[in-house]
Amino acid sequence: MTMTTPDQIGSVTPARRRPYGLLLVATPVLLVLWLIIWPIISAIITTLWVPTPEGSAFSIETYRFFFSDGYSLSNLSITLWTTGVCAILLLVVCLPIALYLRFSNTKVAAYVQGLAIFPMFVPSIILSFAFIRVLGPNGTVDLLFNAVGLPKIRTPYLTPWGPVIGLVWDNIPLTVLILLSGLGNVSNQAIEAARDVGAGRFALLWHIILPRISNSILVAISFAVLGIFSAFTLPYILGPAAPEMMGPFMQRTFRDLYDPQTAITQAVITFGFCIVFGLFYVRSVAKNRAA
Amino acid sequence: MAATLTHRKIDWTGIAFAVVLTLIIVFPLLVVGTWAFTNVWRYPSVIPQEFGLRFWEQTLARADVWSSITMSLTLAFTVTALSAAICLPAAYAFARLDFPGRNLLFFSFLAGHAFPKFGLLVAIAGIFLQLNLIGTFWGVVLIQLVGTLLFMIWIPVAAFQSVDRRMEEAARDVGASPLRVFWSITLPQAGPTIAAAILLSFVGTFYETEGAWLIGAPQVRTLPVLMISFINNQPVIQYGAVLSVLLWVPSFIALLFARRVVNSGSFARGFGG
Repeated sequence: MTMTTPDQIGSVTPARRRPYGLLLVATPVLLVLWLIIWPIISAIITTLWVPTPEGSAFSIETYRFFFSDGYSLSNLSITLWTTGVCAILLLVVCLPIALYLRFSNTKVAAYVQGLAIFPMFVPSIILSFAFIRVLGPNGTVDLLFNAVGLPKIRTPYLTPWGPVIGLVWDNIPLTVLILLSGLGNVSNQAIEAARDVGAGRFALLWHIILPRISNSILVAISFAVLGIFSAFTLPYILGPAAPEMMGPFMQRTFRDLYDPQTAITQAVITFGFCIVFGLFYVRSVAKNRAA
Repeated sequence: MAATLTHRKIDWTGIAFAVVLTLIIVFPLLVVGTWAFTNVWRYPSVIPQEFGLRFWEQTLARADVWSSITMSLTLAFTVTALSAAICLPAAYAFARLDFPGRNLLFFSFLAGHAFPKFGLLVAIAGIFLQLNLIGTFWGVVLIQLVGTLLFMIWIPVAAFQSVDRRMEEAARDVGASPLRVFWSITLPQAGPTIAAAILLSFVGTFYETEGAWLIGAPQVRTLPVLMISFINNQPVIQYGAVLSVLLWVPSFIALLFARRVVNSGSFARGFGG
């Protein structure tokens, strides 16, 4: 990240260079240092330097335990599976919506956009409750199927598909908005020019649109991965008791098993798996803000 | 879909999206809303046997519901007030003053967003454990306060930067004091955006579940945390449904005010889009 060029957040007149500005920003900056930077450093230190009879010594024992423990590994793999499936589903669902919204301005399009953004205003706890009422045992879908003489569904509630459905629902708004913002960079001229030389819909999408929004797709995926990998509420309520995703797993290790050392090890491992997405995401946000 | 550049008479693609999204997004919420106003709804009847408000009375008569509403509101007010008190002066400084490390510090607020959130919460909880902040009101305040910093600084900075500087200078030229200029020129122009940031951080804090659950439970029980226990342990469905409707009120208010902001392109760009 380049953060040092002076004009990045908009310039101020050089004559007004006043160090007392530092005082005004000190409290929030110290909070970031104390409650974000320091916990991360401390987490890495406390999991690598474990106390021994002769003082603390470097050891990767907690990590070795995680990666040799069958239960931890199955939790990690269900997390990776959920994150991957959600990311793919989000693209499959949101890209067509975003493409449609970009290229139409009918009243129906305004309604579709309103709907696509609406989940942003539904807290995930209400979503979880609605999910259980609709797709859970004897839920509304069962009621309707029963009324027309169909058998009950095999409910996704408390299976790995429960969190997948919930997390995709929850992430639709920002994915659509980020993709739509990327599609804003695709000019109508480029598309008309391609069409003039006879490009079909698919060729248009593949050669003209996708290359221009590839960065937005990566940003959308990074944002979704960061949110889903350590999601807590939806997997905790909708997912199976075992194997569980990393979020509920860390919470249970920390609060129910009173084992903060192991919980923090699990947290550092989630950092490790997400670091590429995290840095890429932060870089994109910083670049956009600076522009 | 990409070819819908030219208008067709009937927007079939749009109608298909509208129908599917209505089913997936609106329908589940309507089901919850129906449950909240239902006295009796036994399987396998497709519509409730008896509508009514009986469970509103019963839910609102519960002590745990009132104590968690009070707790949620107290927390959200405390966090938002603290956040405004420390972030707005900082935002003003970032927008108007030059000082060493200004850019680095400005972008440092992104740090929390480079990590999966719950992992970060667990790392913070490790620190709070040593400070005996687990299970305390102020522990939850601190963890939720950190969550508001980015928006409470970045949005107001943009607001202060968009204020017309020539008007401020003109006011200074005719002899207005700096405080007077801030009060009469700067604040009215930046005010609406700052109010939106404050509203968003209030609503965000009100619904913050993960930090409250990890740090605060069981001593600090907010409305979303109570809702989790209703979902897990409460056989009476209507309690959860009524609580869902109550819980949704702040979000509804945010929806009324924030839709224009959210639909504008700058909002998505704020998320890196």
